[in-house]
Amino acid sequence: MIKTPQTQQETAMPTITEKVTQSLKKRHQKERRFKRIGLFAVLFGFMLVIVLITDITSKALPAFHQHWVKLEIDYNNAWLNVSSTADESLNKANYRKVLKKSVYEMFSSSDKKLNRKAKRQLFKLFSTNAEFTVKDTLIANPEYFNKKTAVWVRLDDDVDSYLKEDFAVGDAGLRISKQQALWLEKLSSEQRIERRFNFSFFTASDSREPELAGIKGALMGTLLTMFVTLLLSFPLGVAGALYLEEFAPKNKLTDLIEININNLAAVPSIVFGLLGLAVIINVFGLPRSAPLVGGIVLTLMTLPTIIIASRAAIKAVPPSLREAALGLGASKMQVTFSHVLPQAMPGIITGAIIGVAQALGETAPLLMIGMVAFIVDVPSSIVDSATVLPVQIFLWADSPERAFLAKTSAAILVLLALLLVINVSATVLRSKFEKK
Amino acid sequence: MKSTLTKTFTKTVICLSVSAVALITTVANAQGGSRDTITAVGSSTVYPFSTVVAERFGKSTNFKTPKIESTGTGGGMKLFCASNAIDTPDLSNASRRMKKSEFDMCVKNGVTSITEVLVGYDGIVVANSNKSKTMKITRKELFLALAKEVPAKNGSEVLVANPYKLWSDINPTLPANKIEVLGPPPTSGTRDAFAELVLEGGCKKFAWIKAIKKQNKSKYKEICHSVREDHAYIEAGENDNLIVQKLTANPKAFGIFGFSFLDQNSDALQGSIIDGQSPSFEAIADGSYPVSRPLYFYVKNAHVNKVPGILEFLKEFTSEAAMGEDGYLTDKGLIPLGEEKLASVRENVLSLTPLALK
Amino acid sequence: MLHLRHSRFTSYKISHGLYMNSSLLFFVLLCLTLFSYWFGVQRALKTVGGAEHKKNLVCLPEQFGLLTAMVCGLPALITLLIFNSAEQLVIEQLLISTLPANIQSLSSIDLGLYLNNIRAIASSETAQSLLISINESNDLIQQVQLKAALELQELNYNASWLKTGLVLIIVCVSVTMLVRKFSITFQARQKSETIVRALLVASSAIAILTTVGIIVSVLFESIYFFKSVPISDFMFGTQWSPQTAMRSDQVGGSGSFGAVPLFAGTMLITFIAMLLAVPVGLMIAIYLSQYANSRLRAFAKPMLEILAGIPTVVYGFFAALTVAPVIRNLGESIGLSVASESALAAGLVMGTMIIPFVSSLSEDAISAVPTALKEASLGMGATKSETVTKVLLPAALPGIVGAILLAISRAIGETMIVVMAAGMAANLTANPLDSVTTVTVQIVTLLTGDQEFDSPKTLAAFALGLMLFITTLGLNILALKVVRKYREQYD
Repeated sequence: MIKTPQTQQETAMPTITEKVTQSLKKRHQKERRFKRIGLFAVLFGFMLVIVLITDITSKALPAFHQHWVKLEIDYNNAWLNVSSTADESLNKANYRKVLKKSVYEMFSSSDKKLNRKAKRQLFKLFSTNAEFTVKDTLIANPEYFNKKTAVWVRLDDDVDSYLKEDFAVGDAGLRISKQQALWLEKLSSEQRIERRFNFSFFTASDSREPELAGIKGALMGTLLTMFVTLLLSFPLGVAGALYLEEFAPKNKLTDLIEININNLAAVPSIVFGLLGLAVIINVFGLPRSAPLVGGIVLTLMTLPTIIIASRAAIKAVPPSLREAALGLGASKMQVTFSHVLPQAMPGIITGAIIGVAQALGETAPLLMIGMVAFIVDVPSSIVDSATVLPVQIFLWADSPERAFLAKTSAAILVLLALLLVINVSATVLRSKFEKK
Repeated sequence: MKSTLTKTFTKTVICLSVSAVALITTVANAQGGSRDTITAVGSSTVYPFSTVVAERFGKSTNFKTPKIESTGTGGGMKLFCASNAIDTPDLSNASRRMKKSEFDMCVKNGVTSITEVLVGYDGIVVANSNKSKTMKITRKELFLALAKEVPAKNGSEVLVANPYKLWSDINPTLPANKIEVLGPPPTSGTRDAFAELVLEGGCKKFAWIKAIKKQNKSKYKEICHSVREDHAYIEAGENDNLIVQKLTANPKAFGIFGFSFLDQNSDALQGSIIDGQSPSFEAIADGSYPVSRPLYFYVKNAHVNKVPGILEFLKEFTSEAAMGEDGYLTDKGLIPLGEEKLASVRENVLSLTPLALK
Repeated sequence: MLHLRHSRFTSYKISHGLYMNSSLLFFVLLCLTLFSYWFGVQRALKTVGGAEHKKNLVCLPEQFGLLTAMVCGLPALITLLIFNSAEQLVIEQLLISTLPANIQSLSSIDLGLYLNNIRAIASSETAQSLLISINESNDLIQQVQLKAALELQELNYNASWLKTGLVLIIVCVSVTMLVRKFSITFQARQKSETIVRALLVASSAIAILTTVGIIVSVLFESIYFFKSVPISDFMFGTQWSPQTAMRSDQVGGSGSFGAVPLFAGTMLITFIAMLLAVPVGLMIAIYLSQYANSRLRAFAKPMLEILAGIPTVVYGFFAALTVAPVIRNLGESIGLSVASESALAAGLVMGTMIIPFVSSLSEDAISAVPTALKEASLGMGATKSETVTKVLLPAALPGIVGAILLAISRAIGETMIVVMAAGMAANLTANPLDSVTTVTVQIVTLLTGDQEFDSPKTLAAFALGLMLFITTLGLNILALKVVRKYREQYD
C-alpha cells in the first residue's frame, strides 16, 4: 500500500503537541534534578554548621573536667623553715620542699629509695600550682602547722590528658612513662584521684600551665572593650544616621559622606588595625593593649554598620507619620526626636546590638595594637593592659600542649555562647518593641 | 507631647553625658598615670622561662604580674635601647649576648646602666617529627643545605647560588626529601646563634673561605651568614610553638629552635644528631653538643626604683628555686648554671652591677 | 617656715576637705544641666505671666528649657574638656618650676622619670604622712622629693577646685545671659534646634574623619616606604623576603619587596573560596526563595546566620586543626604531596564563611526581580528550574555579580583564617596543595614584633595595607556601579 503523502508527513514529522509531550518528561527530570541540587546545597550548609559545632564541642569537652589527687602533706617545720606561725613568715616558707618531701615519702617504700631521675618524674605528675595550693591550705588553717593532713592538689596537664583519654602507656604520642603510669595506678587504687568540674576555667586568668589557664582575664577584657565600643558607637551612629536621613541636604557633600560610610563598612578589619596603630597609639600616645584603644578601633569599625542599620530603620518609618506631625505644626527636630526616633528605635537597637556582636568576634585589628602579650592580671579599668577572648583563642591555638587544644575549643564555645546570647536578646528586644 | 519630649531629651542628655564622663575621665587618667607593671620584651626562647617566673612572682607577692612580650632578641633590644623613658620596657630577654653595636646604641640613647643576668644555657636543635627517621648530619652539610651561596660542587674556589634541592644531593646518606627548614627571622637571637655556631661552623671548614676571614671580615660574614631565600628555608616568625605544631603536621620538614622546646615536646619531636652528638640535657651541659649558647636578660637600672617590684623580680628569678639545678626552670628545659656560677651571678645582679661591653 | 605652715593648712584641707575629681564634677554638671532645663521652663512661663498664658509664647516652654540646658551644659563641657587635656601639662610645668635648678636642667627623659617618681609618692602617701616624713628626714635629696610630692598634691587639689569654680561661673554666666533674653517672641526653638543640628552634623563627620585618617596614615607611611623601595619593584617583583638585618653587623634577608607572590597567593585562596561559595550560595538562595516551604526556611535562615556570625578566629582554628590535617591525610593516601598548610584548606574554610554572604545578597537580587517576569514565564509553561535559569537569573544577574564582587572583596580582606591556616612562605604557584601566603598574613607578621616605624620592613606592611584598601575599595565601587547601571534596564 502506497502511503499517502499525508501519512508520510505524519510519521516523518510529529506534531508540536507530541514534541512538547516528549520533551516534557526530560524537562521534568531536569526540574527534579535542579530541585535536588538546591536541596543538597541547603543540606550541605546544614552539614557544615553541624560539623563545625560538633568538632569544636568534642574537642572542648575535656577542658571542663579536671583530675585532682589527694596527697598526705606533712607541714614539718624542718622543711618549712619558719620561725613562727605569724602570717608573714608563713608567706615565705618553702612549700616546694614540703610538697616534694611529702610526695617522696608517700612513694618510697622502706627499701626502695627513689633516684634523682625517678624523683623528677614523680614530681612532674603534679601541677606547678600544687605548692601554692599547699601554701593556701596552711595559711587558711594554721592549726595544721607541724602536722600531717590530706590536701587535694591538681594533677599536671599531661597526666590529666592521660587519665581522660585512656591512652596506652609509652605511646609515641604520650608523655607518661611506664613508671609514672604505675604510680598513677597506685594512686587511683587508693581512691586518691578524683574528677572535678573545672571551675578554674572561668575563675582563673591566663597561665603558662594548661591546667591552670582560664578565661577570666579575657572575659573581663572583652566586657570592658565592648562597653567602650557600645558607649562610643551608639550615640555617634544614631546621630549620624539621623542627620543623613532627615536633615542632610541633597548635595555633593552628603553624597560623599554616604559613599564614605558604605565603603568603610566593607574595608577589611586589619586596615582599621593599621589606623589604630599609626594614629591612636603613635600620635595620641594612649597605652598599648588597653581596652580603651581596642574600643576606639572597634567603634570606628562598627560605626558604619550601625549607621547603615539605623538608616534602614529610620527609612522604614512611614512618611505619613512625619507628614502628620509636620501638619500639626511640629518642627523638623520635634518630628525627628519625638516621633521618628522612638518609632525606629527597635530597629536601631537591634542593629547596634548586632554591630557590637560582630565587633566582639574581631581579632585582627586588636593584634596590631598590642593585645598579644602574656597578660595574667585581670583588668579592672579600661586603661589596664588586657586581652580579649578572640585574641586569647588565637594565642592558645598556637600552643602545642594537648591540653591547650581542649582549652581553646572550650573558649571558642564560650565565645559562641556569648554571641548567641547577644543575638537572641537582640531578636527578643525587637519583637518586644514591635508588639508595643 | 510634653512628656515624650522631656523623656527623649532626658534620655539623650543622660546618654551623652555618661559617654562623655566615661571617656574623658579615663583619657585624662591614661595620660597622667605612672606604671606599676613590669614590662619585658625580647627573645622567644627566653619567653617560656620569663613567663613562668613572672607568673610565680605575681602569685607569691603583692606586685602585679609582669607583662612579657615575645618580639625576638633583636626587636627587643631595639625597644629596650630606645630610651630611659617610662614607656620603654624594663627588661629585655636575649638568647645571645648583647652585641657591641646594640650596647653602643643603648649608651647613645641614654641607657647607660644595664645589668646583665645570665640565666642558663640552651642548645639549638634541628628537629623533626619523631614519626620520621632521625637525621645524622654535620655542620658543614647544614651550611651547604641552608646557605645562600655555596662553593661549587666541582671543588673550585667559586661561590654559586645554592643548587641543592634534596638533602640527598648533599650527601647520599641523608634522606631523599626536599630541603624544608623552618627557622627564625633575623629579629631572633636563635637565628644569630645558629648563624654563628652552625652556619659559620660549617662554612669555615672550607679552608679557602676561612682564609677570606683574615682579609675581609665582612665579606666572610656575608658568605657564612647569608641564608637562602628560595623557600627551602622558611622564616616562621617569633612563635616557636607554631614551628613545633607545623613539624608535627609535616614530618618531612625540619625546625630550628631552642632545646627547651624540644624537651617540652619530646613526645612528638626528635633532635638531629649534629657532628655525631645527639642533643640531650647532659651533652649540652657538658659542652659536647656543639650548638649551645647562653641565655640572658638585661635590666634597665634607671627603672629599678621607678617601677615597683623589679628588684624583687630579680631576686625571684635568680633564686635557687628558679635557676638552681633542681629549680622549676630546669623542669622547663633550661640547662642550669653551676652552683658557684649561679652564686656569682646572683651577687652581681642583686647589686645591679652595670654592664660594660668592650 | 611660712611655706611649711601654709602646707600644713593645705594638707589639712586635702585630707579633710572635699576632693573634687572629674567624675564628681561631671555628675554635678549633669545635675546643673537638668536643673537649668527646669529653670528655663519656669522663666519662660514667667515672662508670659504664668502657665495659663502658655499659648502666648512663640514656642513651647520645653524648648526654652532645652535651650537653657544646652547653653548651660555645652560651653561648660567644652571648657571642662579643654581644661582636662591641658591640666596635666600645666601642672607639670608649674611643678617643675618649683624644683631646684639642678633637677630642672635634667634631660627630658630623666626629668620624666623623676616626675614619675614624684607622682608615685604623691598618689601613695597622704599629706599628713608627707609632712611628717619631711620633718623627720635628713637626706636633702629625699626632702626635695617629698616637698615636690606635697606641692604636686596641692597643685592637683587647687586645680580641681579651679575647675569646679570655672565650670560654675560659666554655667551661671551663660544661663543668666540667656534667660535675660527670654521674651514672648524669643525664638527658643530655632536656636536650640540649630545647636542640635550642629551636633548631628559633627557625628556624621566622624565617618569622613575615619576614612581620611585611614587614607592619610596608610598613605603617609606607604610614601615613606616607596622612597626606599621603588613602586615598580613592589608591584612587579617576584621575590618577597622582607626580613632585613636588624643591625649593621648582622646579615639578614636581602630585603626584596616584590609583592607578586603575595598577590598570587591571595588570588589563589580567594579563587578556591569562590569555587565553593558561589555555587553553593547561589543554589541555596534559589532554593530558599523559589522552592522551600516556610518550615525549611525557618530552619535555614538561622543556619545561615550562624555561619555568618561565627568569628573568623574560630574558622581559622577549625581550618588549621581539623581541615588541613584531613586534606593532608587524604592527599598522602592518594599519593599527592600536600603541604601541611595547603591553600586548599584555607580556601575551603574561607568559602564556608562566605556562603551566607553570597546567599543572602543573591536572594535579595532574585527577589528584586519583578514577579511579573516570573509569572509570565510560568504562565507560558516553563518549569520552575527553567524559569530560574532562563528568566530570573539573567534578570538578577547584575545583583548577583555585585554580590560576587563584594564576596571577593571580603575574601581578599580576610585575615584570621589565613593567619592561622595559610603559610608564611611567599610562593608563586597555582597548585592548591602548596602552601602560599597572602597580603593580610604578611601585614600581621611584619607588624607584630619589630615596631620601628622607619625600617622598610614595617613600612612594607603599610604599603600592603594601602594595596588592600585600594583593591577592596575598587571592588566595592565596581560592584555598586554594576548593580546600578544594569538594574535600570529592568525597571
